[in-house]
Amino acid sequence: MDIEVRRGEVLGLLGPNGAGKTTTVRLLTALIEPSEGTASVDGFDVREQADAVRARVGILTETPGLYDKLEATANLDFFGRLYGLDAAVRAERIERYLRLFGLWDRRHDVAGTFSKGMKQKLAIARALLHDPSVIFLDEPTAALDPEAAFVVRDAIETLRRGGRTIVLATHNLDEADRLCDRIAFVRGGLLRVDSPARLRGALGVRGLTVRLATPAADAETATILALPGVAAAERTGAGLRIATDDPEALAPAVVRALVAAGAEIVEVRVEHTSLEQIYFDVMGVRPGAEVGD
Amino acid sequence: MRAGIVWTILRREWIETLRNRLLLSTIVIPPVILTVAPIILGAFIGERSLPPELEAAVLQQRPEWAAFTASELAGAFAVQQFLVFFLLMPAYIPLSIATFSIIGEKQARSLEPVLAAPIRTGELLAGKAVAALVPGLLAGWATYVVFVLLASLVYGPNLFGVVTDPSWLAGVFLLGPAVGLSSVVAGVIVSARVNDPRVAQQIGGVIIVPIVGIVLIQATGTVLVGAAGYTLMAIVVTAIALFGLRIGIRLFDREAILTRWR
Repeated sequence: MDIEVRRGEVLGLLGPNGAGKTTTVRLLTALIEPSEGTASVDGFDVREQADAVRARVGILTETPGLYDKLEATANLDFFGRLYGLDAAVRAERIERYLRLFGLWDRRHDVAGTFSKGMKQKLAIARALLHDPSVIFLDEPTAALDPEAAFVVRDAIETLRRGGRTIVLATHNLDEADRLCDRIAFVRGGLLRVDSPARLRGALGVRGLTVRLATPAADAETATILALPGVAAAERTGAGLRIATDDPEALAPAVVRALVAAGAEIVEVRVEHTSLEQIYFDVMGVRPGAEVGD
Repeated sequence: MRAGIVWTILRREWIETLRNRLLLSTIVIPPVILTVAPIILGAFIGERSLPPELEAAVLQQRPEWAAFTASELAGAFAVQQFLVFFLLMPAYIPLSIATFSIIGEKQARSLEPVLAAPIRTGELLAGKAVAALVPGLLAGWATYVVFVLLASLVYGPNLFGVVTDPSWLAGVFLLGPAVGLSSVVAGVIVSARVNDPRVAQQIGGVIIVPIVGIVLIQATGTVLVGAAGYTLMAIVVTAIALFGLRIGIRLFDREAILTRWR
C-alpha cells in the first residue's frame, strides 16, 4: 500500500471484512508496529516516534470502548488526563465537544445508560479531545440501527465541515460515497484510490433509460442509434437502454427523436453506475459468488 | 514511568471498583466477618482449655506462652489461627479486582482507546496492579487493627501481646503484601488467557492453596510459624511474584492485547 492523505482530506478505506482496514488504522495510530515498510503521520514515523504519533491522532475504534460506570464527563476527563491536558483545557474541550454532539444535557449520566448512537458520539468526542491532527474512524456506523447511524454520520459531517483530516475505514458504500473526498479500495493492499466522481467517470457506465407506453419498435431503436453520441441502444421490455458518455446532453435529442417517431414516453432517467457496482468491479467479485470466483 | 499517568489509571480503576457492588461486597464483607468472628469464638471458648497433648505441643512451639492460664492459652491458640485470614485477604481481594478490571476491559473493548493514547504499557499495568493491590492490603491492615483491639478486649491484655508479636507483624506486614503482589500477578496472567472473571478467579485461586497449607500445619499445633518463617516466606513469595511479573508484562504486550485478546 502506497498512499498519501492530504491535510483536511477525508479518505475512505473501503474493503470487505479481513481486507486490512483495521490493521491499516492500527498501524497508522501506532497501536501495532509494521512488520515491514514505513508510515508517517503528521511527519512522525509510526515505528520510531510512536508516542509522538499517538499524541497526534485520535481514534474511534470498532466498538466505542467506553467505561460504562463512568459519567460522560468522567470518560472524557480520563482520556484528557492521559493526553496530558491541564484541568482548564480539559473542562473547556469536554464542554465544547459534548455540546457539539448534543450530549451536554446528559453529561452527568453514566455512559452505560446511553444509546448506541450516543455512545458512538461520545467516543468521537473522546477521539477529538486532544485536538488531533488526524482522526481515524474504524467502522463508525457498524452495528448501529439506521437512526443511530444517521446521528453518527451527521457528527462525521460536522467534522468534515470543520476541515479535519479524517481516515474512515468502512464497508458501508453509501457512507464512503457521501463523506469521503477520496476512496481507497483495499484488499490485502491498495487496489485503487480516487474520488467517488472520478471512480464513476473512469469505471462507471453511464446512459439513459427510456420507458415507453408500448414496446419500442425497430424503427424507433434505429432512430436512436443514428443520433450522435449514442454508443449503443437495446430494447428492454417496454423501453430502451441507451449507452452514452454524456446522458444529460443526449436526453433532449432522444426525447425529440422518439416523439417525432410517434413513441409515447412515460419516463426518461439518467443512469449512473452505483459505487456498489464499482466496488464489485474493483474487488473483482460478483455479488452472490465466492470471492475469487 | 510517569506517576501522573499511573495515578490517572489507578484513580479510574478505584472509581469503577467503588461502583461495582458485587466487587465491593467481596472486598468489604469478609473483613467485617473476620473482625466479628473472634468475639463470637471468644464467647464460646473463653472458659475452656486445650486437650493436654495439643497444649504440650503448643507450649513446645511457644515457650513464652507458659505463663498463660489454660483459658488464655486456648485463646492464644485460637487467635493464632486467624493470622491466615490476614494472608487470605491480600490474596483474594487483589485477585478479584485484577480479574474484574482486566477481563472487564476485554469484554468492553475499552483497552484499545487507552493503548492508542501516548502511554506506556508498563504505566497501564502499574496503575492496574497498584489499584488491585492497595485495597486488599488496606482492608487486611485495617481489619488487623480492629482485630487486635477486639482480641485484647475479649481475651485480655496477654492476648494483645500474642497478636502483636513479631510473627504476626511479619505475617501481616511482610508476607501479606508479598502474597498480594503474587495475587495481582496471578490475576494479570490468568486474565490474559480467559474471558470470564469467575473462571479467572477460580484458576488464580490456586494461589490460596499454599496459604491453606499454612493453616493446616498450624491447626495441628505441631508447627507454629514464627517471625523468621514468615519473613523467609515473604522473600520467597516476592521472588516468585517478580518472576511472574515478567511473564505478566509480556502477556500485557500492546500488540497481543489488540490482536489476541478476544
